[in-house]
Amino acid sequence: MIDLRLKIDPLPIVEPLVIRLRNEPQNCQTEHDAVLVDTEGTRLEYDYNGFSFGLHRQDDENFDGDVILALPGQRIAHRLIRSKSPHNTFLVTEQCDQLCVMCSQPPKKHHADLFSQFALAASLAPLNATIGISGGEPLLHKERLFSMVETVASTRPDIRFHILSNGQHFVTEDIRRLVAMGTERILWGIPLYAADGLTHDRIVGKDGAFQNLQRGLGILIKAGASIELRTVVMQQNKDRLSDLANFLFTRLSCIDVWAIMQMERIGYGRMNWATSFHDSSADFTQLARAIDMSAARGISVALYNFPLCSVPLQYREFALSTISDWKQKYLDICEACGSRAACGGFFEWYSHKEGFAGLGAL
Amino acid sequence: MTVFPLKFRQTADGDVLFCDDAGGFFKSDDAFLSRYAHDQFTADDDAFLLRNGHAFEEVGDVAYSGFEYRFASRLYAPGPLDYIILVPTLRCNLACGYCQVSRVNENTPGFDWSNQTLEAVLSFLGTITAPKIKIEFQGGEPTLRLDILSTVRDFCRSRFERCEFVVCTNLQDVSDEVWSFLSLTDVYVSTSLDGDVSTHELQRTFKSARTAQFVENLDAAIARLGNGKVSALPTIDPRRPPEPKSVIEAYTSRGMNSIYLRPVNYQGFARKRYDARASSSAWNAYHSSFIDELVEFNFTAEVPAEEYYFVHCLRRILRAGHNGHVDLRNPNIVGHGYVVIDHDGKIYPTDEARMVSRVGQFDLSMGDVFTGMTMATVDALNEEASNNFHPDCVHCTYQAYCGIDLVDDLSRYGRIDLPKDQTDFCQRHLALFDKIFAMIYSDDPKIRKSLAIWAGVPSFDASIARCHQ
Repeated sequence: MIDLRLKIDPLPIVEPLVIRLRNEPQNCQTEHDAVLVDTEGTRLEYDYNGFSFGLHRQDDENFDGDVILALPGQRIAHRLIRSKSPHNTFLVTEQCDQLCVMCSQPPKKHHADLFSQFALAASLAPLNATIGISGGEPLLHKERLFSMVETVASTRPDIRFHILSNGQHFVTEDIRRLVAMGTERILWGIPLYAADGLTHDRIVGKDGAFQNLQRGLGILIKAGASIELRTVVMQQNKDRLSDLANFLFTRLSCIDVWAIMQMERIGYGRMNWATSFHDSSADFTQLARAIDMSAARGISVALYNFPLCSVPLQYREFALSTISDWKQKYLDICEACGSRAACGGFFEWYSHKEGFAGLGAL
Repeated sequence: MTVFPLKFRQTADGDVLFCDDAGGFFKSDDAFLSRYAHDQFTADDDAFLLRNGHAFEEVGDVAYSGFEYRFASRLYAPGPLDYIILVPTLRCNLACGYCQVSRVNENTPGFDWSNQTLEAVLSFLGTITAPKIKIEFQGGEPTLRLDILSTVRDFCRSRFERCEFVVCTNLQDVSDEVWSFLSLTDVYVSTSLDGDVSTHELQRTFKSARTAQFVENLDAAIARLGNGKVSALPTIDPRRPPEPKSVIEAYTSRGMNSIYLRPVNYQGFARKRYDARASSSAWNAYHSSFIDELVEFNFTAEVPAEEYYFVHCLRRILRAGHNGHVDLRNPNIVGHGYVVIDHDGKIYPTDEARMVSRVGQFDLSMGDVFTGMTMATVDALNEEASNNFHPDCVHCTYQAYCGIDLVDDLSRYGRIDLPKDQTDFCQRHLALFDKIFAMIYSDDPKIRKSLAIWAGVPSFDASIARCHQ
């Protein structure tokens, strides 16, 4: 597991500080760049506009191009952007208005607004980067979120965003702004768990969520937004997947992709694992039907977070390697596997005792 | 709740097939039809229609906008001009009885591009703004003018980010220089193999030595270039078609598993020799038996095969936005995404339009490379190029899947206002769609296996063939 936090020497700051780390002085293009001046064991010394600060590394990590966030009084810096990784996500809030049974990031009441810092960090990202925006529910702070995207779009039109949202908070007035931000710039990752309100609402822990979501999706459709529809498959909804496939075909053919996802065993997902995890290696029937119904009718469908060996051979082409590098692991059985390079493996917090029954090296 | 208009058609097994304008479909019976006609839907009917995208509750809800989207994405919108068919010569070293593209003998002067024409073509290509281009060399036999092919290729490679060149050659006489050109990484070969070898000889080569020479070249092309870069079309005479089995064998044994059956085209010089006008029923019967044979073949074959156009139509039924074939689009806007430049530098919207013009029926040219494109003729044609409001098509169950081909109508009948059901285009497509729906609703495991392969899925799910009582 890659630690997304770095130990730093305390900085005399009163405001959160965003810094891009560079190895060579000629690569320092902005006032936010700090250049590496000395390496002593595990301590790296940087020059930041004439001030020096120290950063402690494990292993032989190279931070060139990375963007970190330092907070006042903390000896920890957050690695907002790892320049060599495609998996960079900003956790913009921990507040949420849903309580999903499989949530990997359970909500908290408190919110610290760091949107300005995130906007700055995004503007320091490598060329053509896609930055994930996650929560909590980012749209609880819609105005701040939208202005962050607009700010970045104006200075860094090459940067794209992948925003995970429950889709509950769009209003008709947003359409113009969504269009102006650019429908290719943002991929909206929106969860939908069933084609019926009762099942969906029960899974997300909010009455009326399904109704509200349909309205929100309607607004995104009108705006021509790019949509990744996300469905975590669980015991609660696995038998309704074909109804959902039909719902997507008739209502939501415009989506870019339907992501059918495996659970992540952390947060509420860990708490509810026994009552929610669906072992798709033992029973793939409903998933197979959902894929068959969708792919035949031109809906692009993909399996996220499914180890390749858990998927029947003829459906393996739909399984993408989607687990972020920093929380990805492989098991002992993966040692002998020839498909490891194409396989996303497992979440760091996956427990094989309670996991897939039917795995094996390919 | 409001139901989107349903069109219906009795099927061979006595059921009634219902389709809507966005391409949604289901099977039901006369009783349902009667309830529909008398506005007496049951709660069960309502629930079925709403669940399956045939109805909506409020304008703007997801059922409504989902339908809108599926309807709209079935409409073809031409992209920028990035596909040019070039005819550098009409001369040919074969004299096939049905030659559809009109040709002259190999030694006839005056049917090649002059230097001025070549220069004007290059400046025309130079005005194209798309970053990529696809050039298809047709003829005549284009390899008779390899010098022109090389000049055009060099020019395009210096002008565009990405280029693809297709040489439509009969592979009859292939010189070392031609082999070198065909072996280039951005060059693809499209040739003719008329069903099986004996039919090929009957229709194209006439002498066994010539036939053997072609077969040798075809096999050499596949061996040298790989079967991914060589495609072949069989032109079929519906009155004397080869056995489907032998066609499938001739193609699949060479690793060519996509077979695009073409009926002899009633245009160019073909119409002088064959009565293709009344042949649609013979063609339909042959095509249907060919599909049946493919289904048999695929049930046990290690590598399955397909009939290209059948698969295209199947996918057009299942999916919106499947507009990749110029012969089946709605609206069929011509003269925008691709054009044809003839041996004399004249520009045509389609290859068929070139032939209609050549036999003197109509002048469907749209200017030439010397003076530039003129859009008046194609604009007039394009105004009629939609089936959405056509008085016959609006009643047709298959309207959403179908297209329109005005140049074909002009070529066959000299007019575009014949009742659609009397046209070859309509008769062929009605038969095709009938066949496909019969297969979609079949529970024969052999058929279901082929459908899955052709739809590109591991298994063809029975729920796609919805029924409602």
